[in-house]
Amino acid sequence: MNFDAIGSFWDKHYKKLMIITIILLIASIGILGASKINTGEFLQKDFTLKGGLLITIQINPTLSLDDLKTSLSNEINEDVNVRELRSLSSGESSGYIIEFESLNQDSALAAIEKTLDIKLQDNYTIEEVSSQLGESFLQSAIKAIIVAFIIMSIVVFIYFREFIPSVAVLLAGFSNLIETIAIMNILDIKLSTAAIAALLMIIGYSVDTDILLSTKVLKRTDLPLKERLYSSFKTGLTMQITAIIALAVLYALTPALLLKQIALILIIGLFFDMLNTWIQNAGILRLYLENKGGKQ
Amino acid sequence: MSVLAKAKEIFTSWRILLLIAIILLSVWAINPRFETTGVVITSVATNTSADINGLTANMVLYDVNGMQINSVDDYSAAIHKIKSNDIVKFGTSGGKFSFIAQLNDAKEIDLGVTIDKVPESNLKLGLDLVGGVRVLLQPAEELTNQEFQDIVDITQRRLNVYGLSDINVRQVSDLEGQSFILVELAGTSNRDIVKTLVQQGKFEAKIANETVFVGGIDVKSVCRSADCSGVRSCSQVSDGNYACNFEFRVDISPEAAKRHADITKDLPTQFVGGSQYLSERLDLFLDEELVDSLLISIGLKGQETTSFTIQGPGNGQTEEIAKNNALDNMRELQTVLITGSLPVKLNIVKTDFVSGTLGQDFFNTAITAIIIAILAVGAVIFVRYRKLKVALPLLITGLSEIVIILGFAALVKWNLDLAALAGILAAVGTGVDSQIVITDEVLHGIKTVSTWKERMSRAFFIIFGSYATVVAAMLPLWFMGAGLLKGFAIVTILGVSIGVFITRPAYAKIIEVLLK
Repeated sequence: MNFDAIGSFWDKHYKKLMIITIILLIASIGILGASKINTGEFLQKDFTLKGGLLITIQINPTLSLDDLKTSLSNEINEDVNVRELRSLSSGESSGYIIEFESLNQDSALAAIEKTLDIKLQDNYTIEEVSSQLGESFLQSAIKAIIVAFIIMSIVVFIYFREFIPSVAVLLAGFSNLIETIAIMNILDIKLSTAAIAALLMIIGYSVDTDILLSTKVLKRTDLPLKERLYSSFKTGLTMQITAIIALAVLYALTPALLLKQIALILIIGLFFDMLNTWIQNAGILRLYLENKGGKQ
Repeated sequence: MSVLAKAKEIFTSWRILLLIAIILLSVWAINPRFETTGVVITSVATNTSADINGLTANMVLYDVNGMQINSVDDYSAAIHKIKSNDIVKFGTSGGKFSFIAQLNDAKEIDLGVTIDKVPESNLKLGLDLVGGVRVLLQPAEELTNQEFQDIVDITQRRLNVYGLSDINVRQVSDLEGQSFILVELAGTSNRDIVKTLVQQGKFEAKIANETVFVGGIDVKSVCRSADCSGVRSCSQVSDGNYACNFEFRVDISPEAAKRHADITKDLPTQFVGGSQYLSERLDLFLDEELVDSLLISIGLKGQETTSFTIQGPGNGQTEEIAKNNALDNMRELQTVLITGSLPVKLNIVKTDFVSGTLGQDFFNTAITAIIIAILAVGAVIFVRYRKLKVALPLLITGLSEIVIILGFAALVKWNLDLAALAGILAAVGTGVDSQIVITDEVLHGIKTVSTWKERMSRAFFIIFGSYATVVAAMLPLWFMGAGLLKGFAIVTILGVSIGVFITRPAYAKIIEVLLK
């Protein structure tokens, strides 16, 4: 990769590039706000967070869990969850538990009958279930994330002892999260427990590159500013590209849908991390240092 | 420097020796087993024929009536051949056992025994990965949201007393509008625990039919250590059976102590067996049934006593069994005293074993995929630096971080679930980031005149900065978040700590020696 060309391009246009990241953040907030107004949610929730129909069927299993899950999902056009039921006393397979997201029981039952090629009569029960994580889960999650950002900002401030660069690190993390959620909204990726885990990971990855950049720029004052930026750019971009390639491999190889989802969300997050670290955060630091230098 | 000298320098560095020692310790903790025979007995219900004849949990079962058992399916097939009142012969790691096959309420053969396949390692997987016991409970009356929340909280606390943490409680309603509670527990198929879970657990201590204290609200602490709880005496009773007595101390609230003083201050005294006691006894009720009735010594009359000793019995055919029963009863009583009673009575509708939401193979395929992803990282690093000396140590460090995290999980008997996997992914990912920082500082430093020490302290300044920030971000999730968030936060903090204090210093040392 030609780091020098990228470096001199950034040098010339960094202010214009910063406008792009500002627009991205505003657009993302706009998308999420519009979604909240239109649908009442920033992101649609899947059944791990929302609950749905739970159908228990007592039969001798004929299909493997994965096969049943795939055919049922195709049949009804939504994600379903299939689990096996075993008798506690003999360990024998005694049926399936199937979770549906929608509350339309007729289509759910029809899909099961068709897929398993059976007639459902007395051998099933159907129930509505609440979320696996409970009503208050999301609210406490959001509170915890807000507190996490506050404590993070204190730590970053103690580390660098300068206000603007600390805010820039947090702004980068915040932008990554918001922009990733906006893309999830556009791609219609539903919020699940796995998606929450992935979004949390984005905070960790985002912090890594931003701390690297801030440390090099603020603490290595023996070198010229451009060289400091350039050296952190080289290291940080290696980090991000390595992570994206590893996650792409994970995405391509794993048969588990859930890991695929985590990998996809992280790839989106890392893409925004590149923009927010090297354009937004680097731009803010450069403006900050030049301003500070000018006053002295 | 010659290859031999470099190898010598690497393998005499304390950082690397520490890493190797911890990896070995982790592998020992995980204890992977590649070939297993038999199935493991996970629980034996009390007072069943199997229990009375000495079968206990954790034995490995090799054959049933001469049929070899190597899987859960083998076991089901063997059970199918058994008829009611047949003699069943179990060949186990604890010897041979014979007992009578009984029918359960559903008229099925039920030996009161639950089994599972012999674990392939000491790693315990969570509910979403391997499943567990699923209990459908029906509340005796309509629940308000608050009552439901109380039931969830109490259930969770009761399971904590048993050291089980991975649990999923949900509210369910059928199409007729009846509500149920669905509880799923990982890591146990012990039916006695299920029983305690749904026990309403209304504990009352009364004197002359007046309540002194109730479990939960009035109880400040319950002693569970050996110095103030345990089985104190055992003796053979008239019919040849044994009876044991347990006792433990509870501390109650000042209000309850005041009630005790008010009730006892006017009670007359009496002589029992040569000592003076109050005329009324302290009656202990659990779910309206009398557990024990204790004499009150004269010294307590009218006193605001905050400390009581609770007693209760346990019986059995042998002293050993009686003692164990007494201990079980004690634990049950302690549990309800600590956690208080459920707001309504719950009935068990059904109990099943259920597979995980993510499927049986999820964990293995996920770990394999993560390892392949780390190999891809190695490839990218090789392309970027064109040095096997960088790519190989980086790979080894990344893989050893996974092994150490899993080893720790096995050691503390942690249920690995989806959150844990995400945490491993986060920790290993930031680990690779740090190693790239180290590598760049070292390679860049070679061009300048700085010393190794300066380069490393620069690299670790960045690494500690991101470490402190990640830990700071995870702490609120640990303390405020429930379930998923908590698990993720703990594994991430653990993983990055292992990285910063163990694996990354070792990586830095290897790189230093190799690139010198």
